[in-house]
Amino acid sequence: MRTAYRVLAYIIAAEVVIQAMAMVYAVAGLGKWIEDGGVLDKAVMDSDTTPFDEVVGFAIHGINGMMVIPLLALVFLIVSFFARIRGGVKWAGLVLLLVVLQIVLGISGHSVPFLGALHGLNALLLFSAAVYAARRERTITGTPTAVGEHRVPTTA
Amino acid sequence: MRRSANWRSLRERGHPGRRVRLRLVVACVATAAVAGPLLWYWQASRLPSTYAVTDHGYADAGGATHNQAAHAHVGHSGRSVDALTADPARPPDVALTLTARQERFALASGRKVRGYTLNGQSPGPVIRATAGQLVQVTLINESVPDGVALHWHGVDVPNAADGVAGVTQDAVGLGRTHTYRFVVDPGTYWYHSHQVSHAQVVGGMLGALVVSPDPADTLALVHVYDGIRTVNGQEGDVRVPAAPGQRVRVRIVNTDNGRMSAWVSGAPFTLVAIDGTDVHGPTEVRDVAVPVTAGARADLSISMPADGGGVRVHLGGSAALLLGAGAPAVPKPAAELDPLGYGTPAALAFDPERADRRFEYDIGRRPGFLDGKPGLWWSINGHLYPDVPMFTVAEGDVVRMRIANHSGEAHPMHLHGHHALVLSRDGRSATGSPWWVDSLDVGNGESYDIAFVADNPGIWMDHCHNLPHAGEGLTAHLMYEGVTTPYTVGGRAGNEPE
Ligand SMILES: [Cu+2]
Repeated sequence: MRTAYRVLAYIIAAEVVIQAMAMVYAVAGLGKWIEDGGVLDKAVMDSDTTPFDEVVGFAIHGINGMMVIPLLALVFLIVSFFARIRGGVKWAGLVLLLVVLQIVLGISGHSVPFLGALHGLNALLLFSAAVYAARRERTITGTPTAVGEHRVPTTA
Repeated sequence: MRRSANWRSLRERGHPGRRVRLRLVVACVATAAVAGPLLWYWQASRLPSTYAVTDHGYADAGGATHNQAAHAHVGHSGRSVDALTADPARPPDVALTLTARQERFALASGRKVRGYTLNGQSPGPVIRATAGQLVQVTLINESVPDGVALHWHGVDVPNAADGVAGVTQDAVGLGRTHTYRFVVDPGTYWYHSHQVSHAQVVGGMLGALVVSPDPADTLALVHVYDGIRTVNGQEGDVRVPAAPGQRVRVRIVNTDNGRMSAWVSGAPFTLVAIDGTDVHGPTEVRDVAVPVTAGARADLSISMPADGGGVRVHLGGSAALLLGAGAPAVPKPAAELDPLGYGTPAALAFDPERADRRFEYDIGRRPGFLDGKPGLWWSINGHLYPDVPMFTVAEGDVVRMRIANHSGEAHPMHLHGHHALVLSRDGRSATGSPWWVDSLDVGNGESYDIAFVADNPGIWMDHCHNLPHAGEGLTAHLMYEGVTTPYTVGGRAGNEPE
């Protein structure tokens, strides 16, 4: 379970990296497509078609952000209940909270662009929290507070 | 006794096995606390494989008292949508067959795309008729595996001809046929599939229906194929011959999922009709953009300059009609024509202030499950599909509806079978011509008051015409008391209207 905790934390951090890359990939593709004479407006945006290949970046960002990462964060929290890491639940809870905040900011950014900027900032917070949680587990392992069958408990 | 004594001693000594067990129990309880409600909501949101739209959601009588409702019920109970047809004895004035195929085909521009055709072409054939004629269309599904159904967008057809799979008919399966019969009013309309519509409409299963005595009118059916905007299947600048001094009526149809702007350079123009209804007392304007929302139509009338100068009608950013010699492209004007104050008022045939029903159609967005799928979904009056209102009316009712949108995105709202009068936007009353719509763009943060007369019995969709949005829960229905449907969503016909 401790391994699962650490691995999940790293996967979530990696997912944040993928999110950033997918977004920039798509925006760069859009820019190039417009340079080449493409015209974007609401109807084209909502047409469900693929005017340029990099548009897949937007799809990845959406599916990852709305489905995969929230599910990972949820599983991460549940794993933390079993992983017996000091502060493990707290950090997993924080990661889940930041994921929820990230979705809210991402969606709100469509109507209030400044919240989109905070979406970018919050991505870094989420990444840091996930990495910290993952590394924290390694440093804490073996301290006396961790309870295991092989250990003789100190009783009052 | 002995056992409990043992337990006590264990607790006192803090036996490690027990501590582990306790932790495990706490972890399991915490897991259940987190996952339990989610699983419950997930399970509760799952739709049965087949269901009638009338069995879902909750009836909303729009504040009508029980007595009114009961009274209206008398003599109308138990009519099936199948019985709501045009006069079956009347021979058609315009009859044609449309054969649907799923295939790779060439647009008029020559570009090859994969999608859907009617009679081998997309856009499908332009159906032309004159006012009062009975149009009869026989649809044949030659090669569309998902099935097809044709909806006559903006035409107030009898309910049986509305073409909504799972509500007014079964999707027409491979090798099968279906016949639509309806009488037409003057105006610009279009037809499109209402089976798996989010895919089939984008893929080109659509065409124009023009009811006009003048065959010389210019049609501008705009559709995006594979990210390329086309006008009647042509790309870029589309030339239309026009003589100096000639009056040209351009019938613009927006078949896409998002709003488009049209603007004119080279001459002033008048907006003579919106969604198939003439504007009363339209004035000539220039340097303004005309918003045309998804599914909507706008008819522009343009007098060609007497000196032989040409005109350009911009249709969104990338397509244009060039009338006569054409004119250079100009950027979209900052000013928009607002139909709320365009034209001159005219008498109404009904009094919107004496409404029998008042409905709220409040559009939001919230996280939840839609048929077991987690996500952020559109909500109607705070609830997710299928827990949405069934707006219930009786024939003859004057109906008012307030459509408010605070969902973060614009929604082109489309009511089937009726035209609604726009009374006000954000509390500001309409001051121009009566503004009749079947497709109304409700921007984020906006609210519209509309009114209509319930004069066309049936079960009618009232949904967002950004078609993926309809599949994401932005679908409700208007139901007349006593009307029933034998059709179901899902089922053997695989009906999937969105
Ligand atoms: Cu919508």
